Amino acid sequence: MRRATPLAAIAAVFAVEAAVGAGPVLAFPLYLTIIMLTALQLSRIESLETAVLSAIAILVPTLVRGERTSVVATAMLLALVLIVAALVVTAVRLQVFQKAAIAQRRADDTAASEERMRMMLEAAMVGLALVDGDGRWQQVNDRLGLILGRSRDELPQLTLEEVTAESDRPALVEALGLLRSGDIVRWEAELYQVRGDGTRVPVSVAISNTPGRASSQSLLLVQETDISARKRLDGLRDTLVAIRHIIVSGLTWEQAVPQLLGGLCTYLDWDLAQFWAADHDRQSLRVRHFWHREASGFEAFREESRATAIPMGFGLLGRVWQSGVVASIDDLSRVNDYSRSDLARGAGLNSVLAFPVVENGVVVGAIELLARHVRAVQDDEVTMLSTVGVEIGQFIRRSDITQALRRSEADHRAIFERSPIGIVRISSDGELVESNPAVLSMLGHDFEALRAGAWPDLLRAYDQAAGRQQMAPLLAGITSGSTVQVRAATASGKWLWLQLTATSIPDSVGRPEHVLVMIEDVTTVRETSDQLAEALESQRSANANLEKLDQTKTEFLSIVSHEFRTALTGIQGFSELIRDGGLETEELKAYGGYIFNDADRINRLIGDMLDLDRMESGRMSMRTGDVDINEVLSEAIARAGTSAATVEFEADLDPRLPIVAGDRDRLIQVVSNLVNNAVKYSPDGGKVTLSTRGEGGFALVSVADTGLGIPPDEIGHVFERFRRVRSGAAQSIPGTGLGLTIVKQIVEMHGGKIWVESAVGHGSAFHFTIPLAAEETSPLRRHA
Amino acid sequence: MPEPVGAGGTPKFTVLVADDNDVAQRLCKRVLEKAGYNVIVAMDGLQAVDVALSQRPSMILMDVAMPGIDGLEAMRRIKAQLPAMPVVIASAHSMASDTDRFLAAGADKVLSKPFRLADLVAIVGQLAGKK
Repeated sequence: MRRATPLAAIAAVFAVEAAVGAGPVLAFPLYLTIIMLTALQLSRIESLETAVLSAIAILVPTLVRGERTSVVATAMLLALVLIVAALVVTAVRLQVFQKAAIAQRRADDTAASEERMRMMLEAAMVGLALVDGDGRWQQVNDRLGLILGRSRDELPQLTLEEVTAESDRPALVEALGLLRSGDIVRWEAELYQVRGDGTRVPVSVAISNTPGRASSQSLLLVQETDISARKRLDGLRDTLVAIRHIIVSGLTWEQAVPQLLGGLCTYLDWDLAQFWAADHDRQSLRVRHFWHREASGFEAFREESRATAIPMGFGLLGRVWQSGVVASIDDLSRVNDYSRSDLARGAGLNSVLAFPVVENGVVVGAIELLARHVRAVQDDEVTMLSTVGVEIGQFIRRSDITQALRRSEADHRAIFERSPIGIVRISSDGELVESNPAVLSMLGHDFEALRAGAWPDLLRAYDQAAGRQQMAPLLAGITSGSTVQVRAATASGKWLWLQLTATSIPDSVGRPEHVLVMIEDVTTVRETSDQLAEALESQRSANANLEKLDQTKTEFLSIVSHEFRTALTGIQGFSELIRDGGLETEELKAYGGYIFNDADRINRLIGDMLDLDRMESGRMSMRTGDVDINEVLSEAIARAGTSAATVEFEADLDPRLPIVAGDRDRLIQVVSNLVNNAVKYSPDGGKVTLSTRGEGGFALVSVADTGLGIPPDEIGHVFERFRRVRSGAAQSIPGTGLGLTIVKQIVEMHGGKIWVESAVGHGSAFHFTIPLAAEETSPLRRHA
Repeated sequence: MPEPVGAGGTPKFTVLVADDNDVAQRLCKRVLEKAGYNVIVAMDGLQAVDVALSQRPSMILMDVAMPGIDGLEAMRRIKAQLPAMPVVIASAHSMASDTDRFLAAGADKVLSKPFRLADLVAIVGQLAGKK
């Protein structure tokens, strides 16, 4: 096309010339027009080419026609003008064209750059915007729209202030003022903004003056970053730290609860928190603690909560209690599972979350958190709150135990201080560590005197007393509650009986750490108990005596009645025979004899018993006088010799035997009893030897026989009442069984003793002593 | 002395009187013989056992307080050999508790001393009538 242009120009020149047929001058404007057109050609060369061809086209006809020189000159001038004009136009046009091109290029560059910028802005992770001096949004990027949860159309109708949380507004307004006044050029802060759906979003914001503008109508560049993720993690971490801090701070549960609830609200951005505890019988949950941010309007909700008892499984809290799982309602206006919903919303509360407090695997309560803003609960927050619930549960448990311990500690301290029983605490090496007032007042010492002097004395006394009882010393191997009584002097010198009871208190690994010693003043008790023991002992022996007496009496009665009835059997039986008659004289005589003997026996029995009774009761009087024992013996031999023909008597009487002081009749009774026995128990005859000897202050008298003897098992009993040797040949020997008993009584009444030696088959020897008359020691007396 | 044989040629009813008291022994012997019984005697417990086992009396009148073994022990020994042997305990231990004690020890009858002669005859008569 371009190539054709010059040819077209020449053709046009010829066509014009031919058409008009006019001269070149006339045709010039036409030529000029053509040249101008050609000059509009794209390149300079083309323009020049076209101009030259046009000039040739102008000249050629003139030359061909051989026109006059003037015409040729004119034509040449015309051609020259044409070329020059073409050159000029081309030059001018090129210059203009070049400028335009540059301008165009510039414009293109700017546009591209702007496009790039725009794309960058849109793609930025940072929300960017311009706001005007009033804080009204001018331009916002998509990101900012996303952060604020609002469309880009919506934002320009709002101000920066309006999308900022109420609590952060004052700071923002102040900062905007400072920026406008130029006092600061950049302000950075973290604040909460309100999203289109009403939720809050934490943002990091930087606002700066846009440079190069007059401050009065300045636009502010706002950069915002959504820091909710970081904020939440920080919040969770801070919450855990704060909760743990409270838990380990040594507070009681009651003291810690407000701090725990407050901490949860502050760190996790809730407005109100309540602790609900399960009843003892686990029938319902009830509010125990309440915390809220400084704001009003919660009273009605609080009252309602306080009046509410939530059964297991009902509503949000009931479900948390039952399941032990965190539960939440993001927007109370949309869910109908919260009984206090209306009151909560009336108080401006819109979100609620509850998490279980777990103690030892059991849900013991729940913490309810409420917030005014609509709040979406994240998984990591749920996890964290579950952990917090368990930690709080453990804390409650520890706190309960601690409280119980403190209480018991206080109780023990009170017991220690007020106990009427003395209590001291000593170290494992015996050093006195502590003493209660009772010990001090008991011993009259102050603590220092007790520690330095009285206590070591007491410890020694304990060990001595323990040693006597084969017990371990106080410090060595104390078993719980070894008790020892010791004598101890008070500061004023009074002696007391103290009862010490030592108990070791082991430390956590079981080593004895301290020893508690209880000190009781048992002086009165001990004195009383000594008296009591004495009284009891005498009572006991009296009882034993009485019992023995009673038994003896019963036995005696039984024996006596037997003796009497045996004697009466003969008397009654034979007298009945005689009464019934029909007897021969011989029979009558014999039976009379039996009756007489038994009657006599009964008489003797009665006599002996009365004697014995008088002697034993001390009512028998002794007619004491001088008695010549040898004479008594000689008379006894003389009497016995006439009646016992089978027995031979021998006297071995000490002629120098002094006179004794005694009751002659009674001594005769003794001797004749012994002699009668000797004869009775020598049924086959034999020898009876009577001997006397002075020995010390006594006269020793012996009556020995060669008769039956007494068996060894009987010999210890021969002086007892109704004890008669009845074995073997002795069985038919008559007697009351009271003779030797009476003999023993009489001898003892004289201040003497009686004993017996015997061997079965060889005979018996009875020996007794009678004290000599005090003033009559001379052997010559009886011959005087 | 009459033969200890009854009219029908059967042995006469024989009573063993065991008593260490000579007077009581004589009394019983006299009364029972007059009542028509044959009487043999023993002076103590051991002798009573010997006589009872060797001579097999029809019954025994036994004192208790005897030397050696007492009447109750003698009765036990006899009854161990001759369970059907009637034994009447005749004792001066005559309290109610004593009577019970003797019956518990196996006595068939108890006769308290002193006794009426008619009582003695009646007791022996009862036992003889049973035969």
